[in-house]
Amino acid sequence: MKEKLFKNNTLIIFLLMLVVSGIISDSFLTGNNITNLLRQVAPIGLISIGMFLVILTGGIDLSVGSILAFTGVAFALLSYEVYFAAGILITLLLGIVIGAASGYLVAYRGVAPFIATLALMTIVRGAGYLLSKGAPISVGAHSSSILHLGTGAVWGIPTSALLLLVVFAVVYVMLRYHILGRQIMAVGSNEEAVRLSGISVERTKFIVYVISAFLTAVAGLLMVGRTGVGTPTIGIGLELDAIAAVVIGGASLSGGKGTVANTLLGVLILGMIGNIMNLMDVTAYMQQLIKGLIIILAVVFQKQSR
Amino acid sequence: MLQLTKIAKSFGGVKALRDVSLDVRAGEIHALLGENGAGKSTLMKVISGAHRPDSGTFVFDGKEIAHNDPSLAKSLGISIIYQEFSLVPALTVSENIFLGSPEARGWLNISAMHDKAQGMIKSLGFHIDVSKTVSELSVAQQQVVEIAKALSLDVKLLILDEPSAVLGPTEIKQLFVVLRKLRDSGVAIIYISHHLDELMELSDRVTVLKDGHTVSTVETRTVDKDRLVQLMVGRELSQMYPPKPECREYEGEITLEIMHHDNPISFSVRRGEILGIGGLVGSGRTEVLEEAFGLTGNRNVSRLVGGQTLVFSSPRAAVKQGWGMVPEDRKRFGGMLTQSIRDNISLSSLRKVSNRWGFIDAKKEEAVVNNLVDKLRIKLEHIHRPLSTLSGGNQQKVVLAKWLNLELNVLLIDEPTRGVDVGARAEIYQIIQDLANQGIYIVMVSSDMEELMGMADRILVMQNGTIQGHLSRPDFSEEKILRLAIGAD
Repeated sequence: MKEKLFKNNTLIIFLLMLVVSGIISDSFLTGNNITNLLRQVAPIGLISIGMFLVILTGGIDLSVGSILAFTGVAFALLSYEVYFAAGILITLLLGIVIGAASGYLVAYRGVAPFIATLALMTIVRGAGYLLSKGAPISVGAHSSSILHLGTGAVWGIPTSALLLLVVFAVVYVMLRYHILGRQIMAVGSNEEAVRLSGISVERTKFIVYVISAFLTAVAGLLMVGRTGVGTPTIGIGLELDAIAAVVIGGASLSGGKGTVANTLLGVLILGMIGNIMNLMDVTAYMQQLIKGLIIILAVVFQKQSR
Repeated sequence: MLQLTKIAKSFGGVKALRDVSLDVRAGEIHALLGENGAGKSTLMKVISGAHRPDSGTFVFDGKEIAHNDPSLAKSLGISIIYQEFSLVPALTVSENIFLGSPEARGWLNISAMHDKAQGMIKSLGFHIDVSKTVSELSVAQQQVVEIAKALSLDVKLLILDEPSAVLGPTEIKQLFVVLRKLRDSGVAIIYISHHLDELMELSDRVTVLKDGHTVSTVETRTVDKDRLVQLMVGRELSQMYPPKPECREYEGEITLEIMHHDNPISFSVRRGEILGIGGLVGSGRTEVLEEAFGLTGNRNVSRLVGGQTLVFSSPRAAVKQGWGMVPEDRKRFGGMLTQSIRDNISLSSLRKVSNRWGFIDAKKEEAVVNNLVDKLRIKLEHIHRPLSTLSGGNQQKVVLAKWLNLELNVLLIDEPTRGVDVGARAEIYQIIQDLANQGIYIVMVSSDMEELMGMADRILVMQNGTIQGHLSRPDFSEEKILRLAIGAD
C-alpha cells in the first residue's frame, strides 16, 4: 500500500500543492474558499472525465469548449419556449447528438479524432454564435431553478461538486467493473488486438465521444447555473485545460493508460493553481505563465519517477 | 576480435548475466543459442554499449574497453541489426543507408548517394532500386538494406538478432549468401536464432547460453541438433512434437471457399485434424486466414460447416460463431502488452464472466483466468502484471488462452511459435494438439517446415495466392513442400 502511494505521483503533487497553498495563504483552507474552489472546478471536472475516456481510447476531443458554450446558449433560449425539465432534457440531447457526430466520423468514417473534433469545434462554436446572435442570453424566469445547480448546496457541499462526485463514481465503477470500461482501456492499448478478439472497436470509440459531449452538456448547464446566462463566447481553449488535467493525472495521450481518480486530481491541481494565485492577487497574465510552468513541472515529475 | 570474460550484469535483484564468456573471431560466423531469458539480449546490449556490465572484461580488437557506450561501440565498428528494423519507411533506400552517417551532413548530393548505395546493395549480391522508399520493399529486401546500412559504417563485428524470423526459406538462403561473403571478407558475425537448422547450416561455432551462463562453445560441425537442444534445455528434439492419436475417425468437415481478388481458393479441414498451410512469405497464407476470419470484410467467403453455410464478414461475427484467430504478429495484433495478463485472457470472453447488465464478476473472471493459466502452464508472477513482463513463449500462451474460455469451434493460427523458445514451443504444440483432439478444427500457417511436418496431419502449400498442392502425412518432406512453394512442380 505504501509503495502504491508513492507510485501515485499525481497524489503527491496534489498533497504538496495543498500543503504549500495552505502555508502561503491563510484564506486558502477556509470553508468559503474550498466551497468556491469546488464550484469552480465542477464543470471542467466533468469535461475532463469525458476527455479522459476519449484519451483512453487513443483519441482526443477538441470540441468540448464549443459544446459548453453552445449548450449554455441553447438552454437559455429554450427556457423561453419549454418547461424547465424539458429544457434540460433537450440540452443534454443536443450534447449527445454533437458527440454522436464526432463519434460517427471517428469510429465509422475513420477520420482522425483531432480533425473530426476540430471540425465539430468550429461548427458548434459557429452555431452558438448564430443562435445567440453573439450576445449573452439570460435564462427565462420560470427556469431560474437552474441556479440551484450552479450556486446551491446540499449539506453544505455545492450541488455542482456533488454532481461531479457522482459522475466520477459512475465512471470509476464503469472502468473497473463493466465490460465497456475494459473495452475502452483495451481499445487504447491495442486496437487491432481488440478487433481480432471479436469486439467492436467502432462502437467503443463512438460511445466515448458521446459520453464526452454529454458530460460537457452537463457542464454547460452548470455554467448557466452559476451566472444565469448562456454565453456564446465561453470555453474558448477549454479543451486544452481538460487535456492538461488528464495529462497531469498521468494518462498517456496514446491511450490505454491512466485512472479517472488521477484525472480528478489533475483537475483539482489545475483549479488550485488558479485559486491560490487569485488569493495572492497575481495578475491574469502572470497566472497563465505560472500555470504553464507548473504543468511542465507536474508532467516532468510524472515521467521522472516512472 | 571480441573476447568477453566472466561478464555479469544484474538489474535490481535479477541476475540477467551471471558468468558469460564469449570469444568471437574475425572471419567467423558465431551463433548464439539459448532459450528466451537465457541472457542473449542482455549480452547483445552489453556488446553494443547499451548496458554496462557489473563485472568482467571486454576486449575488442586487442584493446580492453573499460567504459563502453553506444557511440563508442559504433565507432569501434560494432553494429547490431535488431528483430525490429530501424529503417524509416517513408525514406528511400539510399537515404536510409546514409541516415546518420557522417557523409550525410548539410547539403546532400542525391545522385552520388544513390550511386554509392546502389553499389553497396550490388556488392551484397542483390538488386534493389535504391530510389524506392523502404515501405515499398519486401521484408527480405529491408533486411538487406539494414545490412547495407551497417556496412556503410565500416563494420568489424555485425550482430544479427533473429534475422530469419521474418524471412521465408528462399530469402533466408539469400541472406546466408550475403553473410558468408561478409565472413570471408574478415567481418566477425554473431548470429542469434532459435532455428537450429539455420545455425547448423550457417555457423562456424556455436555458443550456448543458459540462465545467464555460458554452457559451452562448440565447433558446429562436431555437433548435431539433438546435442544443441540438450545443451540448451536438456530435452531431446524428438520430444518436441506431441504424438498423434492412433485411431482416427473424422466426423465433420469444414469447407472454405474464398474469392480473393477474383482468385478462388477452396479447401477443407476435418474435425480433429490439424491442417497446415505452408509456402513462402507473401504467398497469401496469412491472407487466407484473414479472409476466413472475416478480418478483411470480404463477403465472398463461403464457409460450409457440417452442411450449413456460415456467412460473416467481421471478426466480431466470427467470434460469435466460435471462430478464433491467433495472429502472426503478436505485438501488433495478438496481445495488449501494457494491459494485465488477466485483461488479455478475458478480453474475448468478457460476456461469459459478467451479468446481463455488463458488470464483470471479478471473482468468476479471476477463477477462469487462473484456471487457464494453470492449464496452459503460463509462467507469471501475477495475473495483474502487464503482458509485457512475460517471455515470448508465455505471451503466446496468453494469446492462445484468450480463446479457450469460449465454445471454440475453429481456431486459425498464424505462426504459432514465432519468437518462442524451445521449451515453451513443445508446450504450445501440446496445447494445439490437445485442442485438435477435443474436436476443434485447426488451421495452422507456418514458415517453419519442421514445425509444419511435426504438427500437421495434412499440409497445403500456397504460392502467389493459389494452392499448389496438398500433402498428407506419409508424403511429408521438406523438399516436397519447398518444390510446391516455389512452383517447381
